[in-house]
Amino acid sequence: MIVANRKNVQEIRDMIKGHKRVLLVGCGTCVTVCLAGGERETGILGSALRMSLKLIGRGEVVVDECTIERQCDDAFFDAIGSHGAEYDAICSFGCGVGVQALAERFPNTAVYPGLNTQFMGLLESQGVWAEKCAGCGNCRLGEFAGICPITRCAKHLFNGPCGGSREGKCEVREDLDCAWQLIYDRAKNIGSLDKLEEIALPNDWSTALDGGPRKVVREDQCIAGLGPKA
Amino acid sequence: MATYEPLILAFCCHYCAYAAADLAGSMRLQYPNNVRVLKLPCTGKLEVNFILAAFERGVDGVFVAGCLEGGCHYMEGNLRARRRVERAKVLLSEIGLEPERLEMFNLSSAQGPRFAEIVTEMTTRLAELGPSPFRPARGAEEGVREMTKQAEAHLTDEAHGCVAA
Amino acid sequence: MDATTSDRIMVTVDGRTAEVPVGATILNAARQMGVSIPTLCNYRGLSCYGACRVCLVEIERGQGRQLVASCSYPAENGLVVHTETAVVKVSRQTVLELLLAQAPDSTELAEFAAGLGVESTPFTPKAEGKCILCGLCARVCNEMMGRGAINLYGRGIAKQVKTAWSEQSDQCQACGACAFVCPTGAVDLKTITSRRLRPHNTGYDQFLTARPCIDLAHPQASPRVPYIDRETCVHFKSDECGLCSKVCGAGAIDYGQMTEAIDLQVGSVVLTPGFEAFDATRRGEFGYGFAPNVLTNVQFERMLSASGPTRGHLSRPSDGRAPKRLAFIQCVGSRDSGCDNDYCSSVCCMAATKEAILAMEHEPGLEVTVFFLDLRAFGKDFDRYYERAQKLGVRYVRSFISRTYEMPGTKNLRLVHMTPEMKPVEAEFDMIVLSLGLEPSASLHDQAERLGVVLNRWGFARTNELQPLDTSRPGVYVGGAFQEPKDIPDTVMQASAAAARAMSLLAPARGTQIRTKSYPPQRDITDEPPRIGVFVCHCGSNIASVVDVEAVVKKAGKFPNVILAEHNVYTCASNNQDLMKEKIIANKLNRVVVASCTPRTHEPIFRDTLRDAGLNPYLFEMANIRDQCSWVHSATPEQATAKATDLVRMAVGRAGLLMPLQEDTVPVNNGVLVVGGGIAGMTAALALADQGFPVHLVEKGDQLGGTIRELHHTLDHGDVQAFLSQSIDRLRASKHITVHLDSHVAKVDGNVGGFTSKVVSEEGTIEIKHGVVVVATGATELKPQSYGYGQSDRVLTQLELSDRLGKGEFDLPAKATVVMIQCVEQRSEERPFCSRVCCTTAVRNALILKERFPKARIMVLYRDMRTYGFREAAYREAREKGVLFVRYDAGQPPVLEVGGKLRLKVREPALGQDLMVEPDMVVLAAPMTPRADRKEISDLLKVPLNADGFFLEAHMKLRPVDFASEGLFICGTAHSPKFITESISQANAVAARAATILSHKQMPVSGQIAYVDPDKCVSCMTCVHLCAYMAPRIGTDNKAEVQGVVCMGCGSCASECPAKAIQLRHYVDTQILAAVNSLLFAEPVEKPVQAPYPEQVGVAPPKWHKNIN
Repeated sequence: MIVANRKNVQEIRDMIKGHKRVLLVGCGTCVTVCLAGGERETGILGSALRMSLKLIGRGEVVVDECTIERQCDDAFFDAIGSHGAEYDAICSFGCGVGVQALAERFPNTAVYPGLNTQFMGLLESQGVWAEKCAGCGNCRLGEFAGICPITRCAKHLFNGPCGGSREGKCEVREDLDCAWQLIYDRAKNIGSLDKLEEIALPNDWSTALDGGPRKVVREDQCIAGLGPKA
Repeated sequence: MATYEPLILAFCCHYCAYAAADLAGSMRLQYPNNVRVLKLPCTGKLEVNFILAAFERGVDGVFVAGCLEGGCHYMEGNLRARRRVERAKVLLSEIGLEPERLEMFNLSSAQGPRFAEIVTEMTTRLAELGPSPFRPARGAEEGVREMTKQAEAHLTDEAHGCVAA
Repeated sequence: MDATTSDRIMVTVDGRTAEVPVGATILNAARQMGVSIPTLCNYRGLSCYGACRVCLVEIERGQGRQLVASCSYPAENGLVVHTETAVVKVSRQTVLELLLAQAPDSTELAEFAAGLGVESTPFTPKAEGKCILCGLCARVCNEMMGRGAINLYGRGIAKQVKTAWSEQSDQCQACGACAFVCPTGAVDLKTITSRRLRPHNTGYDQFLTARPCIDLAHPQASPRVPYIDRETCVHFKSDECGLCSKVCGAGAIDYGQMTEAIDLQVGSVVLTPGFEAFDATRRGEFGYGFAPNVLTNVQFERMLSASGPTRGHLSRPSDGRAPKRLAFIQCVGSRDSGCDNDYCSSVCCMAATKEAILAMEHEPGLEVTVFFLDLRAFGKDFDRYYERAQKLGVRYVRSFISRTYEMPGTKNLRLVHMTPEMKPVEAEFDMIVLSLGLEPSASLHDQAERLGVVLNRWGFARTNELQPLDTSRPGVYVGGAFQEPKDIPDTVMQASAAAARAMSLLAPARGTQIRTKSYPPQRDITDEPPRIGVFVCHCGSNIASVVDVEAVVKKAGKFPNVILAEHNVYTCASNNQDLMKEKIIANKLNRVVVASCTPRTHEPIFRDTLRDAGLNPYLFEMANIRDQCSWVHSATPEQATAKATDLVRMAVGRAGLLMPLQEDTVPVNNGVLVVGGGIAGMTAALALADQGFPVHLVEKGDQLGGTIRELHHTLDHGDVQAFLSQSIDRLRASKHITVHLDSHVAKVDGNVGGFTSKVVSEEGTIEIKHGVVVVATGATELKPQSYGYGQSDRVLTQLELSDRLGKGEFDLPAKATVVMIQCVEQRSEERPFCSRVCCTTAVRNALILKERFPKARIMVLYRDMRTYGFREAAYREAREKGVLFVRYDAGQPPVLEVGGKLRLKVREPALGQDLMVEPDMVVLAAPMTPRADRKEISDLLKVPLNADGFFLEAHMKLRPVDFASEGLFICGTAHSPKFITESISQANAVAARAATILSHKQMPVSGQIAYVDPDKCVSCMTCVHLCAYMAPRIGTDNKAEVQGVVCMGCGSCASECPAKAIQLRHYVDTQILAAVNSLLFAEPVEKPVQAPYPEQVGVAPPKWHKNIN
């Protein structure tokens, strides 16, 4: 799941400065699940934004809210449909993907992000999310007993812990479990400690963001004439 | 500011604060008449947007009154309410409204005098803070009456798009 | 209403016309209509005198108007009255100015005048005086009391109220009626009566304050009906007065009520007469009764109460000052053979600790000292609480206090106490609280005899430890402190248990006397627009005297959807309920709003009326304009009216959106799964089987009995093993019980009333269907790591000693020395709890040892002897028989050398010296710890454990055997360490609580529950994580669903659902927001927006919130 958290009310207010009619668009998937951009949060921010605008004498600005099924597919924007034209700005409460999808769909409308998209992660306990995957494009979880040293080790170490692993905790942050302690414990449990004795080679970062903008192409899914887009 | 009478909305838990308000009545305690109580089955039912909605509509202050900590009829509803009130306070300050306009209290059903005290405390506090900027411009007691009148006028059938339960 | 009958006439007051009885005065008529007219000399029930002239009104006479005194002017048919004209106002003001000059010293009069706009008088005031010569005092004395002790004497300026010859009167009965009715505070009773005046202090405030002679018996009295104190009521003493019956508008006063004897045919009797606090005057040396600043703990508790006489503030009765130094003296009337109470009252140590903490919260900076003998914090989590009190600064001093001395000037109290080094020191306190013992009421002696129940030597019901609920007479059971002093959770447990015993006996008769009320079918209102009826209540004058009810009704009539707005004097009166029913039907109302008192008491009544009228009961809403409006804003009627209007408008706004809700029922499986085959599990199984419920008892071991297999005797010499084998025999013989040995529960699915569980044994897995689960997994004695346990066969635990003593496999040299060490590895940082039983076990084993080896030296090393209740007597007996009890401090525990000879060293705190002993045997009081498999059970049933690993009940005090989740129960030592007798009680209590579910074929599901809209649910698990009752779960479609039977209706899930997929029925967002909107809404209303083309795309419509300008 993509994890995000909300921006400050004032930040959003300043972003939409100059616009007269603003539509806040919530997203019903990941950001709803991580309690950042669903119908509830969009409603709360809408209310907050209207009040904030009034306080700076911009009470005439219209702020409406609408939450759609999913922002990462154009089809769901049909639900906004012609209403979209009524607004001169849209503020997305989806992840960065949603913001850009909206921008593509409404080419003549200003589109702003209402959230700060954080990472791909997991609910740790109610109200706490932790990063689990960096999307490096070259998954090596099999080597590390299913625990990713890229996202979970503060130093992204591939070959065992640093000297700062203390009683299972990371020296960088006390609340962080040492990823290598976890890797070791799990490897022991599943009887694959021997794997850890092999030297893990450096990662091929060309499949990650370092290799430039990425694209996945599935030729078998590409039907002639329809895609892939150039 | 002499004529300004704050209007306060109180979200009260059925089991404690609402009962305490009743007890204050049985004890004939006198307190300012600025508060309108909205009963909830538990402050756990309080939503952040209820609070914001009330402020947006123009109340001068809101207080939430739940059971004593550890005494929630539903285990931890009041603790959740406190978290939500704290969150709403953060939002209020981001909006630019005094977060002191919102407060959470805990009391038991036996604390009638405490309820009267809370009402008095909030009324004094809000009288000092002055009228909410979201009230109509007149801002005085008259304003409340005006809003009341409008509310009566606007409560049309259209508002009743019922949720099929 | 138009035709005037012979005894009724029509009168118009301030433009409103109403019917009044012939002979009514204008004042009566106005009051009936809810119009208030100020008066001073008028008092309902007393004759009219027309003295003050404040009640002037104008009446229409031919062409003109005339001023008359409304209190004395009889109403005539067609009379037109004006109460608020300028002339009336000015005239009243002039009258008041004259009165102010007459009584310049009366603050009451000045306040009254100020209320009518008169701040000062232009006339030259008299030099002094408070009396306005209205004569009310004389009238009440003459007419009501039949005394005539005071009267108006003299004429003109010499006129005054006085007694005969201006001397203190023997005629006066010191009833105080004259002072009570006087409107100006002019009566000084001391100058009138020759009798000694006493405040009428009653039990309501624990005799701390004077209260009326008609009063509630105590603040929580149920029913909440006042009674007349016949000892002080003038009517009962002299047949005079009777003023209350004249004043009570509802006619509720009945002087003829008598004690009634009712014959009842019953199958069983449960005795719960409770206890009485020890009479503190019997221990007069502490000063109670004459030193005002010595209070009992019951009084102090009342003083701490927010609704008490001082509203929760600490105040010294002698001068009202807040005390700075407070002391508690423990064991007043307990552990005291001097007054035959040589038992421990069990509750006082914790009660004092609680009161000390509360007092410090109320009075910051307060110094609290508790003088105690042993601090008996033996219950669940009590030691933690005691630790907390110490951290907060409560000072505990172990010292017997023999008396207090009151200081003449300050009324402070001095006492002498011992320091830990046994040096006497004097200390002074501002206030002293006596922790009184618990005693059975003396009157129970006679009653018990009539009931044929034998009492023990202290006057409590005699029971034995293995049958703690059964009195000496079959079918008569006992609950609560009448059995033994006990605190709230133990009392609740035992009372439930007594109910279970009675139910076992009466099971065949269950349900034979039920009558069900039938209602007409509910009207389907789905397609109807809201048609709201508003009923505003006067509540006699409770509301109408402050709130202008008619104005509220007039406004309410114009609120949206309101079809009908009315007012009644008493809306809840049965005739008005019938009327309401008719109006609902006649006007096709589909929502009802009642503006009156509190829904907490009256909502059920009105909901029932709706059902009678064929409406769903949830189509009802109340506005609380009495308790939360008229009663608390009586000084500002105008604003109160505005507030009442607001409250009604909010209620109407919400009512428009109320929906009918179905109260479902689900079938109940009456089977029981009991986990754990120890004494608690067996007792619960038997008690439930006795009531006819099928029970599956699952025990992981190969035999039943658990820990008590190693116990042989109770303190009262009960034979535990015989009891165990009897229980096993009964269990085996019962056709309702299936025992599963060597088995464990692997899975529990479902919820209350309908569980399905898997029980696994070597023979395979079987599936059991049941309605409730009882957890009775017990506890076990920890094998200690200290004091050389395991290294020497001369070091053993108390349980091992008990077992060996019981089996007779025990020998000791005749002059052997046995040392028992208490609190081993408990009450420590690692295990900050007390195991409750060890002190008594040590005493019992010491007594047995003394009996078998009279020459043996037995020494008990203890921190606090916690032999609570009647166990105290055994502690005393042990001391008398020569068992040596030596206290040690937690900081300096005994040291034991093992190897060769045992050598023990212990520091005696009072002597300040080490004692050296060479024991032949050392017995350790090891802690009782929960079973190792507690975590699995906790996960299996999703029930919580406390920090010590014991199962955590729903409420420590009030629901001691229930888990928070419905249908799950806990008993025995899995809950907390306890004695066999307490486990038996708790197991029976579980049986009673479980029966409240199992005895129903169907279980109601409340209408006010949460529901999930699966289309909106994003399966984020938020609701599943946060519900305290585990009501939401992920269904087969991977969407959340709320299990109606489990949902308690708090709405926590609805408030957090990020997709707003969950709503709490009856409190859905729109309903709550409608109330807020109706309070004030300057903006236009939110309008739902239709999505443009959802059908074509196959996309669900978005959730719009669009603000239309």
